[in-house]
Amino acid sequence: MRNTPQPPAAGNGIKLVLAWGFVGIPLVWGIVQTLVNAIKAFQ
Amino acid sequence: MSVSFLDRERTIAVPGYSRWLIPPAALCVHLCIGQAYAFSVFNLPMTKLIGISQSAPGDWKLTDLGWIFSLAIFFLGASAAVFGRWVEEGGPRRAMFMAALCWGGGFLLSAIGVYLHQLWIIYAGYGVIGGTGLGIGYISPVSTLIRWFPDRPGMATGMAIMGFGGGAFIAAPFSVWLMGRFATPTHVGVAETFIVMGLVYFCFMMVGASIVRVPPPGWAPAGYIAPAQPKPLVTTRNVFVYDALKTPQFWLIWWILCLNVTAGIGVLGQASAMSQEMFRGQVTAVAASGFVGLFSLFNMAGRFFWSSTSDYIGRKNTYFVFFVLGTLLYALVPYTGAIGSIGLFVLCYAVIFSMYGGGFATVPAYLRDMFGTRYVGAIHGLLLTAWSMAGIFGPVLVNYIREYNVTHGVAPAQAYNVTMYLMAGLLVIGFFCNVFVRSVHERFHMRAVEAEDEVEAAPVFGGR
Repeated sequence: MRNTPQPPAAGNGIKLVLAWGFVGIPLVWGIVQTLVNAIKAFQ
Repeated sequence: MSVSFLDRERTIAVPGYSRWLIPPAALCVHLCIGQAYAFSVFNLPMTKLIGISQSAPGDWKLTDLGWIFSLAIFFLGASAAVFGRWVEEGGPRRAMFMAALCWGGGFLLSAIGVYLHQLWIIYAGYGVIGGTGLGIGYISPVSTLIRWFPDRPGMATGMAIMGFGGGAFIAAPFSVWLMGRFATPTHVGVAETFIVMGLVYFCFMMVGASIVRVPPPGWAPAGYIAPAQPKPLVTTRNVFVYDALKTPQFWLIWWILCLNVTAGIGVLGQASAMSQEMFRGQVTAVAASGFVGLFSLFNMAGRFFWSSTSDYIGRKNTYFVFFVLGTLLYALVPYTGAIGSIGLFVLCYAVIFSMYGGGFATVPAYLRDMFGTRYVGAIHGLLLTAWSMAGIFGPVLVNYIREYNVTHGVAPAQAYNVTMYLMAGLLVIGFFCNVFVRSVHERFHMRAVEAEDEVEAAPVFGGR
C-alpha cells in the first residue's frame, strides 16, 4: 500500500462529520462556558 | 463484546479508511481523562457531605481531599511508565478499553466511597484505579497518531494532547450542573454525580476505542514521499523501549520536560492568588478566576499551536523558543507588578501557559524524531515520570519560597519575585539540556529484522 493513493471509502464524509461533531460540540460548549465566565469576571 | 474485538489485528484499517477519523478517536479519550484538571470542583462539596451547608465534625478536610488529585497524577506517571510497552504492543483499542474501564470504574468506586463516607475508597478509586486509567489513556493514541501522520506528527499528537487540556472545560460546568441536579436539602449529590460521570466517560471513551484503527504495515499518506535524505535529528530507525533509557537523549528530554513543566505547574496553581497579591485592590477574586480561565484556554490552544509549529521549525528549535522566550517572560513578570500593568501581566502569563501546554504536546514528536515510531508510545510513557516529578517540585518551590519571603518581611506584592527569577533560571538549565540533544548513536538502533519481528510478535504479547 506504500504511497498508493487509495480512493476514500464510501461514507467517510458522514463518519468524519459525526466523529468530529461528537468531540467538537462538547469541547466548543466547554470553551464558550469558560469564555463567558472570563468575560463576566472582567466586567 | 468478544475479546478479539480488542486485538490489534482487528484494528488494522481497510483501504480507503480516512486518517482524519483518528484524531477524534484520540480526543474521545483525552477529553474524558482531562477531567482530572477539574477535579477541584468536588473538593468543597466533599467537605460538606455530613454538614451539607457547612463542614461538620467528621467531614473531610481539604488537605485530606488534596491527596486524591496528587495520587491520580502520581499513578498517571507510574502507570504510563509501567504499562507503556503493553500499550504499544497490544494496540490502541485494547489500551483505550482498559483506560475506559479504569477511568469509569474509578468514578464508580469513588461514588461508593462517598456513599459510605470512606475516604480511602476514593483514594483507591479515583487516585489509584482512575490514575492508572489516566496514564494508559494518555499514551494510548500517541504512536497510532504518529504512524497515521508521518508528515505532521507534531500536529497529530498536539490535537490529542490539546484534548487533555480541554477536558476540564467540559468537566467543570458538567460536574457543577450534575451536582445541582442531584443536590437536595439533605444531600450534596456528589455520589450520584460520580456515577453519572463514570458511565458517561466509559461510553464516550468506548466510542474512541471503536473508531480507532492502526494503518496497515507500509502504509503512507497519498502523495507523501519520505525524505530521501533524513533530516537532521530525525531518525528513520527504531530504538527498543528499554534501550532508550540507556541513551543520554532520553534523559536530556526528560529534564527538558521536567523543567518546562516545573516552571509552568508551579505558577499555574498560584495564578489566581498571585494576580490578586501583585495587584492588590485592582484584581478581585472574581477577576482572578477569569484570568485563570483565560490562561487555561491558552494552555489548551498552545498545545495545538506549538506542536503544529514544531512540524515546520523542528522540535529542538521549538524548545529553544520555549526556553528563551519563557526565561524572558518569567523575568518580566515582577516588572509588570512593579509598574502596575495588569495587561502586560496577563499577556506574559498567557504566552507562558501556551508554552507550558506546548511542552507537553511537542514532546511525543521529539521522542519520535529521536527514537523512531516503533516504541514511541512506550518511551513517552516512561518520560511522563518527569511530569510526576514536576508536579511535586513546581508547587513546592512556589509555595515555600513565597512563605519564606512573607515570614521574612517581604511585602506580598513582591513575595513572588524570587520565585519568578528561579523559574527563569530553571528554563536556562532546560535551554542547555536542549543544546546537548544530538542524534541517538546507531548502536542503540534496532536491527530492521528485529523491529519487524517485534511487530509480528506484538499481538501475542498483547494477551491473546
